[in-house]
Amino acid sequence: MSIRFGRTELPERQAQSLKKAIRFEWFSLGFLAVFIALVFLVMGNSQAMKAAWIEDLLSLAPPLAFLLAVRIVNRPPTRKYPYGHHRSVGVAHLVAGVALFTMGAFLVFDSASGLFTAEHPSIGSVQLFGHTVWLGWLMMGVMALSIPLPIYLGRVKMSLAKELHDKVLYADADMNKADWMTAVGTIVGVAGIGVGLWWTDSAAALLIAASILRDGVKNMGAAITDLMDTRATTFDSGEPHPLSAKIDGHLRSLPWVQEAGSRTRDQGHVLHVESFIVPRDGRGPSLEELEAARDACIDLDWKVQDIVLVPVTELPREVGGSSSDHQSERNR
Amino acid sequence: MRNVAAFVLLSVLAAGLLTGCGISLPADPERTLDRVRDGQLRVGVSTNAPWTETPDGAEPAGIEPNLVRGFAATLNARIQWSEGGEQKLVDELERGNLDLVVGGLTKDTPWSEKVAVTAPYAEVEDGHGETHKHVMATRPGENAFLVELEDFLAEHKPEVQP
Repeated sequence: MSIRFGRTELPERQAQSLKKAIRFEWFSLGFLAVFIALVFLVMGNSQAMKAAWIEDLLSLAPPLAFLLAVRIVNRPPTRKYPYGHHRSVGVAHLVAGVALFTMGAFLVFDSASGLFTAEHPSIGSVQLFGHTVWLGWLMMGVMALSIPLPIYLGRVKMSLAKELHDKVLYADADMNKADWMTAVGTIVGVAGIGVGLWWTDSAAALLIAASILRDGVKNMGAAITDLMDTRATTFDSGEPHPLSAKIDGHLRSLPWVQEAGSRTRDQGHVLHVESFIVPRDGRGPSLEELEAARDACIDLDWKVQDIVLVPVTELPREVGGSSSDHQSERNR
Repeated sequence: MRNVAAFVLLSVLAAGLLTGCGISLPADPERTLDRVRDGQLRVGVSTNAPWTETPDGAEPAGIEPNLVRGFAATLNARIQWSEGGEQKLVDELERGNLDLVVGGLTKDTPWSEKVAVTAPYAEVEDGHGETHKHVMATRPGENAFLVELEDFLAEHKPEVQP
């Protein structure tokens, strides 16, 4: 597999990051598979353990979505898919968000009803090497084991997500953080049962469920706004992407340009840019001038590949023009 | 990484505190084990020979009542028997009017939704090639009592012969 996103050749640094991200996501899948099996074995009647187990299951979605998406975005644009396949990242992001949201809502309901009906969770024992061992000890042990690795994985993935401008990877890193907090919550819940407080289990489960639900709402929202072609943002959806202003700045610095403004949408890893340019003195630029300007914009950053320059007489309002009469589409 | 260190330290402290104060895990929210020890064990029996038999005018007999007598002896507890159908006994158990119900229940019993069941203490193959794992039912959430009973049953597992 050559290291590219569609037609976008990745710079050396990003190519290395992508290889690393793929390795880490495979590793995450392996780690999760082991823990899903372990937690299932000791799950018993604890509501918090059930919530933690379901969260582990859901944590499989972002790595799978990422690994699938990097294969699909690798395909170059075709006649049928003229914009390339970058949007598969957005689709994967949406699917993961909806899964999180649905499970979170179900678990909130399930745990809350356990709390309201005052369900007393029963946790018995198992025979280990001829000794009777309370299952709660095993639950807490497995959960404690599952804490360190997600913290590490989350940190690495977060920096890779920034490097690659990959929102699925970001969602995954965020989820790793939720994973280890879930483990801490579960330990508290089970320890509570241990000292005779029946409600700690459901209460811990409720907190875990609420955090899954919150992740779901956040990711679903981010995925939907990206699919709605909101202006491009940074990888954590925190602020407008600085490249847009950088492109405008570069275009304005050209001698033949009087005013410039861009619409930028996030296609997944790469940005799709449409720059409107008002030439100086109403003089149309030559094809050479246009092509030189386009290539210079592409050279600004690897994320800029698909850029269209549109000479106009006045800037449309949504990219900074003054008149509401002028829109990018002609619809008066 | 500071968070992790703090968490590990806290857990170690908590574990030390728990063992230091002599609290043994798990505990009963409703103190069943404390009450039964040197007190009264309230047992519901539903007829299901050879596991349980309820002869007229005599104490319940069969494999499970005998096990229950042995368990009560380890806790120095008197037994108060109640006879009835499973539905009624399970309801009483769920409400906390009984501590233990026996009736030849198996691991697959639908009552496990409402009450706690012990780990299987006997496995019996029926004529149809199916294995039945026998359990007893206890009040939900009374985990110290449950573990105490499971410990007793595990010790006496080899003696159980239907």
